[in-house]
Amino acid sequence: MYDFTIIGAGIVGSLIARELSKYDLKVCVLEKENDVANVQTRANSAIVHSGHDPKHGTLKARLSVEGNKLYEDLEKELHISLLRTGAFVCAKDKDEVNDMKKLYENALLNQVKDMEFLSIEEARVLEPNLNPSIKKVLSLPTTKVCFPWEVAFFALENAIKNGVELHRNALVTEITHTNHMFTIKTKDNQTYQTKHVINAAGVYTDEIATLINPNIPYQIKPRKGEYYVLDKSVKGYMEHVIYPMPSKKGKGVLITPQVHGNILLGPTSEWVSDKDDISTSLKGLHYIKEHIKDMAINVPYHLIIRQFAGVRSTSTYEDFYIQEDDAVKGFYHVAGVDSPGITAAPAIAKYLVDEVIKLSLPVKHTFNPILQKKIVYKDLSKQEKDELHQDKPLYGRIICKCEDITEQEIIDAIHGPLGSDTIKGVKKRARAGSGLCQGGYCESLVLRIIARETHKPLHEVNYDQKETQILDKESKVGS
Amino acid sequence: MKQSYDITIIGAGAAGLSAALEAYDDTLDILIIEREKNFGGILNQCIHNGFGLHVFKEELTGPEYAQKLIDLVMEKQIDYLLDTTVLNISKDEVFSIKATNITSGEFIIESKSVILTTGCYERARGHVDIPGDRPKGIMTAGSAQRYLNIDGYLVGKKVFILGSGDIGLIMARRMTLEGATVLGVAELMPYSNGLTRNIVQCLNDFDIPLYLSHTIKEVVGKEKLEKVIIQQVDENRQFIENTEKTFEVDTLLLSIGLIPDVKLFESLSIDTDPLTKSALVNQKLETSVKGLYACGNALHVHDLVDDVTIESRKAGKYAKAYVINQKDIDKKQVPIRFDHHIRYVVPQVVDYHLIDEPFDVLFRATQKHDVLKLVIKQGDQVIRKKTLKYVVPAEMQKVQIKPEDLINDLPIEIMVEEV
Ligand SMILES: Cc1cc2nc3c(=O)[nH]c(=O)nc-3n(C[C@H](O)[C@H](O)[C@H](O)COP(=O)(O)OP(=O)(O)OC[C@H]3O[C@@H](n4cnc5c(N)ncnc54)[C@H](O)[C@@H]3O)c2cc1C
Ligand SMILES: Cc1cc2nc3c(=O)[nH]c(=O)nc-3n(C[C@H](O)[C@H](O)[C@H](O)COP(=O)(O)OP(=O)(O)OC[C@H]3O[C@@H](n4cnc5c(N)ncnc54)[C@H](O)[C@@H]3O)c2cc1C
Repeated sequence: MYDFTIIGAGIVGSLIARELSKYDLKVCVLEKENDVANVQTRANSAIVHSGHDPKHGTLKARLSVEGNKLYEDLEKELHISLLRTGAFVCAKDKDEVNDMKKLYENALLNQVKDMEFLSIEEARVLEPNLNPSIKKVLSLPTTKVCFPWEVAFFALENAIKNGVELHRNALVTEITHTNHMFTIKTKDNQTYQTKHVINAAGVYTDEIATLINPNIPYQIKPRKGEYYVLDKSVKGYMEHVIYPMPSKKGKGVLITPQVHGNILLGPTSEWVSDKDDISTSLKGLHYIKEHIKDMAINVPYHLIIRQFAGVRSTSTYEDFYIQEDDAVKGFYHVAGVDSPGITAAPAIAKYLVDEVIKLSLPVKHTFNPILQKKIVYKDLSKQEKDELHQDKPLYGRIICKCEDITEQEIIDAIHGPLGSDTIKGVKKRARAGSGLCQGGYCESLVLRIIARETHKPLHEVNYDQKETQILDKESKVGS
Repeated sequence: MKQSYDITIIGAGAAGLSAALEAYDDTLDILIIEREKNFGGILNQCIHNGFGLHVFKEELTGPEYAQKLIDLVMEKQIDYLLDTTVLNISKDEVFSIKATNITSGEFIIESKSVILTTGCYERARGHVDIPGDRPKGIMTAGSAQRYLNIDGYLVGKKVFILGSGDIGLIMARRMTLEGATVLGVAELMPYSNGLTRNIVQCLNDFDIPLYLSHTIKEVVGKEKLEKVIIQQVDENRQFIENTEKTFEVDTLLLSIGLIPDVKLFESLSIDTDPLTKSALVNQKLETSVKGLYACGNALHVHDLVDDVTIESRKAGKYAKAYVINQKDIDKKQVPIRFDHHIRYVVPQVVDYHLIDEPFDVLFRATQKHDVLKLVIKQGDQVIRKKTLKYVVPAEMQKVQIKPEDLINDLPIEIMVEEV
């Protein structure tokens, strides 16, 4: 019997798991995918917003500003990557300049720090590629960029080290509630009994909730965002996050530098009927180009190396819905966490545990908030490299030639408490295949390393989900 | 192994091996550095026939062609490091090459001259914007070739191919012979981008349809590829209504172009050519960084390995001359200009102070021509004319320019006489 079961291992579920791992409780996380951080947390802009745009007084506003600050702690404790970019909001005409004043007032109420207005001339000294026809710029120095997969992995890895259990490929299909106890069934025919349930299932939170209560006050309306990724050789094109003025459709199409040197262009914003629709389109590219034009010049479209899309879990409730169910006690909703959900996630976890669940337990003496720093070999000093190489010679062999990732880093990604035995899992952890050639060179090498390390034949290595083998078993030539 | 060399060659494919052989001289210290555990580069996965007619006067498979070069390199006892990746190159007085391998970890080699022969990589889905779902089962033709010819596995049973590049054509035949069904090849352009012999021997002989002026409208399949929908395009590459065709397949191979792998140029400030996406070189295959030469697919993409060898021998020869003579000659570089009938030229510049022998200007046409009449000029004056027959973008062309052709110091212009 678990004390708490968290449904969903996105950034929100993972940080909640870590928050609960402080206490002497039996906690488990159920995730339907073959890997964590595989849905919304996989495909977004990665911005730790300053909290300027959510309407003052909403939970979104409060938790964004708090979340932004908590990222500093995550950096110290989990050693996540954090790029202190700051951001420029750009007003392109008179009306937008007026709206910008309102945006500023709202941000002041939200207690966003250190903001200032800049003329376009002042802004262009710092960002020469801004469109000179921009009328006014609002600078938001507290805006940062993280690497959301990593935040989720590291939080969950830390939680696991502090006693939390994770079950992957555990699609929750049924929940029943009797005698102050929940019984959860998953598609892989496992049953979990738990005193409390935390529903952090992203776009599926409404469907999970209706398993237990048909009368919930929110419904998820999936909204897709498409992106273009520019190769890391673009580094320096834009150093700040560049926002247009927000509109009804959200924050708009952005230019976002990433922690590994790439730049994202996007997202689009389109209502979709299918919650799993992560297809990309020619229309998307067109839309992005049309909107980027207003903000930037010399856009290096020739450096596009990839497209992707993510689906926001936008809810009809219009704010985060983080509450205990009215009818079913012990069932907690963490719903409608669309943007700025990455930003707010650490604050959501604290808010849920401290103010909604109101846990008043002492922190267990074995709790260790520190996660050992992950080794990124190419970033080390010569001396550190030599020491590591002495011990593990495979740090000397490059596998991903575009990102300079070594064989030992691939092996590290496969093993460990939150390791992965898929091509995409290794890519998410070690970045092999994220570069210019998009895995054309290293995929077959990674596949062989996975097979060797997990003692499987080559044709059993999956691309991502179960049953997505790259090689065809029956067609081995010559056998 | 030494820590300092006269000439270091990065990459041991056809280009690296050919350059090394020509650069060889018993007074010089030469080193070859190769990332793979074996010599040969891309030739190792090209187990089909059709290499070497020019250079070795016989028809060889890729590995056989490579082996001939390897045997010659072994005879000369040239130093080499396998399973060793070069991470970056910088230049002060001499070049400093940072490399890494299992035995030594990271280390530095100094060299007076460097020949870069790092080959090319294939354009992937992300480089060209193929709309639709994002399932597994979409990969470059070269990756599928490696899985089949090196690892021994097919990547699927029902295959569609986008792009009529040679690797895709060769894989259409290869996968058919191994029991897969290839349902068709779609090519955006109104002509094929592969060699004619490959269209005949890989598609026609196996009744595989080639859909010219077609491209992918959508790929469908959440986790695994289920189908590919193609559609015809007009001259402006806009889709034409009601021309969709749907193919139920588990694999989509991409054969949509190769791009020189020039990562190692990043740490040097070097003049580049946006058309070849590689270094700008003079007729001695020297880049704008003195003593740094580039050749083979790292310089521009070649369809025939024989051409790679011919070009790389020159790079080897000139690097050797550079190290032996090493005197400072002022540069007098002028560009080679060309009109819209030509996609790119190599070399891009000519150094008039270094004209001592004939040199080839290699180029690709932008379109198909049954007859192409070239006029080569300096200023207003025609210095040569040349007529080429059956010119297609897929096949590299060349014109030779002799020292005596040149009549002044003005840029060379290659123009096409309209017929
Ligand atoms: C295009 C886009 C751009 C964005 N940009 C930003 C940004 O720049 N900054 C920012 O702060 N926020 C941004 N966001 C929002 C942010 O990505 C999300 O708010 C955040 O990722 C939500 O995390 P989550 O853990 O709630 O959801 P998810 O990551 O979706 O996690 C939910 C998990 O639940 C699992 N699950 C679902 N159903 C079941 C089931 N039945 N059984 C078991 N498991 C289940 C899913 O598989 C998934 O792993 C963006 C979102 C999108 C889509
Ligand atoms: C798939 C394919 C099929 C072909 N089929 C034919 C055919 O049928 N007939 C024909 O005549 N020609 C064919 N060609 C053309 C011809 O074979 C090639 O153009 C030629 O072999 C390329 O030689 P290369 O040395 O330039 O490149 P490669 O063979 O690619 O060699 C580059 C080498 O550099 C190494 N390298 C790269 N970066 C580093 C680094 N940082 N450190 C150390 N080493 C590095 C690589 O590992 C590789 O071994 C084909 C080409 C391809 C790609």
